[in-house]
Amino acid sequence: MSVEPGSPDGPPLSYEAAAGRVEEIIRRLDSGEASLDETLALVSEGKRLIEQCAGELAAVAGALEELKLDELVSRLEQEATGQ
Amino acid sequence: MSSPAGNDPAIPAGIPESQLAGPFPVGEYAAKLRDRLREFTHVQLLGELVNLRMARARVYFELRDAGGAIPCAVWRRDWDAMLAGAGETPAEGMQIVVAGGCDYYPGSATSSPGFSFSVSDLRIAGAGDLLARIDRLRKQLDREGLLEHQQRLARPLLPRTIGVITGESGKARDDLLAALARRGWAGRLVWAFAPVQDRHAAPLITRALGELAGTREVEVVIVARGGGSLADLLCFCDETLCRTVALLSVPVIASVGHHTDRTLLDDVAAVSCSTPTHAAEAAVGIDCLRARRDQAAAAGRLAEHAGRALGVRSRQLESARRLREHGRRAVLGRARRLALLSRAPGAHLQRQRSSLHQQLREIRAGSRRRLESERSAGATRALVISRKASSTIAECRERRPRELERLGLALAGHDPQRTLERGYVLASSPQGRPLATAEAARLAGELSLRFADATLPARIEER
Repeated sequence: MSVEPGSPDGPPLSYEAAAGRVEEIIRRLDSGEASLDETLALVSEGKRLIEQCAGELAAVAGALEELKLDELVSRLEQEATGQ
Repeated sequence: MSSPAGNDPAIPAGIPESQLAGPFPVGEYAAKLRDRLREFTHVQLLGELVNLRMARARVYFELRDAGGAIPCAVWRRDWDAMLAGAGETPAEGMQIVVAGGCDYYPGSATSSPGFSFSVSDLRIAGAGDLLARIDRLRKQLDREGLLEHQQRLARPLLPRTIGVITGESGKARDDLLAALARRGWAGRLVWAFAPVQDRHAAPLITRALGELAGTREVEVVIVARGGGSLADLLCFCDETLCRTVALLSVPVIASVGHHTDRTLLDDVAAVSCSTPTHAAEAAVGIDCLRARRDQAAAAGRLAEHAGRALGVRSRQLESARRLREHGRRAVLGRARRLALLSRAPGAHLQRQRSSLHQQLREIRAGSRRRLESERSAGATRALVISRKASSTIAECRERRPRELERLGLALAGHDPQRTLERGYVLASSPQGRPLATAEAARLAGELSLRFADATLPARIEER
């Protein structure tokens, strides 16, 4: 059985898809049309997606790492040899 | 020209044993050279325009063909006039015809000299061989569908690793770093430094592209170089390079030259940018700083909705609990009442009976009190009436005889009989009509005279 991307058990959405889905969720919540059960479900989904986006942003939020191509290649070769 | 050093003590001696004239002051020689060059016959030249540079007062470019090149210069005002006449702006790679002659700037102690072909007129002859060749290659790549291949690739909005191919000492590197920092991006940057200008550039750039894409860690590659002439940017029109880029599965962002420059790499790349700054923004599709703020705001909004929803849920649960409590109380109350009714119907009837008896007693007592009261009031009224009647009877008994007597006296006062008894006579006609005057008696003739004791007829007789 296939699992929907972005669902708790499925593959993660891309950053742009996740961010877009969060905006969609907030628009739906702001409209006031969601029932209580739907609101709680949307809030849960939105929190999970925000955590995912925050994780991706955190991955490029530290210190810039600069490598020369040769350094990257040798590092990858070492990793391959180590395995 | 001044005399050589041997004749002028101010000028040092020349090279010993040299057969050549001189030494002459270089400025004088340069001026003579300029004059001689200007004497050359003015001609028209045909070639491709490259390295076009605009200065404040002069316009410089080169005219090239396969056999050689000549630097050209033209006054800016003349250039503008030529453009107006040509109806088209000459661009890099175009085949042009220029008219003019040789010139030489002799320089000075502080400025360098320079040879140029001083252009006095210009005509655009068509696209140059270089441009024509590039255009043919562009059409060929287009026919093969290679111009769209990169544009169909999905570009990550937030790559973790970016590869950059640029010159190691170029300004593009600093511009890229500054733009990425402004974007708030601090992932991994893999530099592949390569020459970006000469005939060796294209193969090295091609190899670097292949190696970057081959690492599988690099999610997007930027090829960056500052502005330059068509000749400078020619390596980015290399067929092998462009075919390699077109077939890569990693998106390539081209940032070669300025917005007026267009190379084949711009055509085959996923994105074509005019500056390294734009290339950085294309590589990192979101402003990370703003995205973090937006995420915080979104998290806040979600928390707000969650709080509200949980509040509603909590109130619903409380309502349900209270409803259950009310229901329980209602059932208990009903049960108690039913139990009471089922347990003591006799007592209930007894209470009702007692209540009715009590009401009956109260009604009787009330009736008695009412009768007593009315009886007492009737007696009082009878007594008052009786007393009033007695008083009235007694009064009548005493007052009425006196009244009758008074009336009798008053009536007697008016009785003519009493007047007659005092000696008066009442004369009247035989018909009984009183005759109050002598004339009336005379006219009547016959009359009756009533005395107190009897009435006598009488007749009037005149004497």
